[in-house]
Amino acid sequence: MDRIELLSPAGDLERLKVTLTYGADAVYIGGQKYSLRANATNFSIEEIKEGCDFAHKLNKKVYLTLNIVFHNEDMDGVEEYIKEVVDAGIDAFIVSDPFIISHIKTNYPGVEVHLSTQNSTSNYKSVEYFKDEGIDRVVLARELSKNEIKEIIDKTGVDIEVFIHGAMCTCFSGRCALSNYVTNRDANRGGCAQVCRFAFEADEEKKFTMATKDINMARHIGEMIDIGITSLKVEGRMRSLYYLATVIGTYREIIDSYYDNTLTEEKLELLEYRLSRVANREVSTHYFNKEADETDQYYTGRQEISNQDYLGLITGYDHENKSIILVERNYFKPTDEIEIFTPSMEVYEYTVDEIFDEDMNKLEVARHPEQILKLKFDKELPAYSMLRLKKKGE
Amino acid sequence: MKILIEPSTKNNLYQDITTGIILSLDKYAVQSNVYFSLEEIKKIRKDNPNLEIFININKNLLNDDIDPISEILKELDKLNLQGIFFYDLAIPKLKKELNLQTDLVWNQTHMVNNYKTCNYYHSKGVKYALLGKEITLEEILEINKLSTITSMVEVVGLPSVAFSKRKLITNFFKDLNKPSKEKLTVTEKVSNAEYELQEDMNGTSFFLKELVNGTSIIKELFDNNIEYIVLRKYGIENIFEELLQDTKEYIEGSCQNNDYVEKYKSLGDNTNFFFKKTIYMVKKNG
Repeated sequence: MDRIELLSPAGDLERLKVTLTYGADAVYIGGQKYSLRANATNFSIEEIKEGCDFAHKLNKKVYLTLNIVFHNEDMDGVEEYIKEVVDAGIDAFIVSDPFIISHIKTNYPGVEVHLSTQNSTSNYKSVEYFKDEGIDRVVLARELSKNEIKEIIDKTGVDIEVFIHGAMCTCFSGRCALSNYVTNRDANRGGCAQVCRFAFEADEEKKFTMATKDINMARHIGEMIDIGITSLKVEGRMRSLYYLATVIGTYREIIDSYYDNTLTEEKLELLEYRLSRVANREVSTHYFNKEADETDQYYTGRQEISNQDYLGLITGYDHENKSIILVERNYFKPTDEIEIFTPSMEVYEYTVDEIFDEDMNKLEVARHPEQILKLKFDKELPAYSMLRLKKKGE
Repeated sequence: MKILIEPSTKNNLYQDITTGIILSLDKYAVQSNVYFSLEEIKKIRKDNPNLEIFININKNLLNDDIDPISEILKELDKLNLQGIFFYDLAIPKLKKELNLQTDLVWNQTHMVNNYKTCNYYHSKGVKYALLGKEITLEEILEINKLSTITSMVEVVGLPSVAFSKRKLITNFFKDLNKPSKEKLTVTEKVSNAEYELQEDMNGTSFFLKELVNGTSIIKELFDNNIEYIVLRKYGIENIFEELLQDTKEYIEGSCQNNDYVEKYKSLGDNTNFFFKKTIYMVKKNG
């Protein structure tokens, strides 16, 4: 039996490379047209080709989101665009519109089509409809329980993908035009203004809020594997390199440990802690084991917290001075206890002693994000290794 | 051009004025204000043999809904109904499997936005499409011109803008440690727009609490051969019968009576997205 797929978002080429390096089996990306993150950087055709080439050399896959709800004008040129993307080497399209599904399956039978969660597919009979249309995979609605997911898998035999980590919509995906009405930004064409995270006036002692906590399924990955899910999807095409490296690397370790029977409670707690360090909201499992309720929401307006654990991205090694070269991301200083982690999830404990600039001038502290710095370290580390704060020093 | 209405109560269906009526099916419809059981639908059919009756089944169906809705669909199919509004693709799948004869209406709320997908559904045997409320009049007319499907356009009513499976009102009042309510009005402070939330067993519906007044575009819809317009009663109960009667006469007069348009300017100047395009790119890629 094939192992379950870990599917990562990638907002640009660098994120694509990082997340595949950190253990994703596949990535989903947005092109410069027709994607539901119109305001992410998104990929040009040349970048899609480079991303596909990079992934395929690793025996991994790239999927393109083509999941807007199309207006008449959006249909102009879409068929030509699909051909360009196919020629660039894409492995699958993520689509919500059945006309587009039909077009791709008719003209490019070798290319997979995955039904987007934008369709909020929530029962086996609806999955069967799309199975008849030739769909290769269905990304289910986020409102389903474990038992409902299992029943769909058992009854249809269609490959099923579910979200395991990241932000949640308050409403059914595709069934929310709050952004259109409140801000005139079209939610279903990539302009969602996240109105469900606004606070509304109500004739009560508190403002009305409906914002949801994020989803985090780390503790249930084994159950998801056991019921036959095909792909585990992480949300967040606009997330940072550090976030993606940490989340993907952590889920990679959970999945592999589960298959290898080495996922102890102690290890899971450590990995959950690691995820918590990049979280900017509280987390929940929402509908998986119960109906979502008041514990899955916020009632005090926006709750995002800023996270400054990410200290730097390692970009090279200075053999002459036996130092790692890094690009600073956040402030740190001598005596800080940090962790250096690699794409293969090796973790090195390190106490900052001396900090140097790129010319080996000693600095008192690192306080300029984007500055090139060096730290003494006697081992060269792979590209995209990173530094995170463990404990502040004196 | 025909008129379809959606009632907001069970006690007046305006069957002597309207061409047709949309009845939301109890337990399997959402974003409505009044729901009808199968038995009530049967009685309405029996009492009104010439009325075009459409049944609204627009819930996101769950696995446990499939068997009961299959039985209901079989019963509905005996009633010589005009059509079934569907959101979930399980409905066209069941129509095919059960060999049902009742026509279908593609009714995916915010998704019925282009002619090619309308043509796709028509090729699958779907006869009608209730067009999205977030598209322009120009787009509506283009869909009607380029699509083979029969178009329906909602012209008057409080627009439904979102639906959540979550019990958002219950959850809010639980946090306040107060008894919940079925409805709650909230205000978005920047736009100063009010929204009405309604909660039931299926979740929470959101309505913009400002009437959409499309009476001024009816003539253009008529001139461009739109086959159905939809009037929703909720929120305008006091004048609905008069509006319906006047609209009927306006259409019967080939929309030549400008007094109608002048009279119903009183319903306000919210023409929703008929003349306003939504945006979605707030910055350029690069």
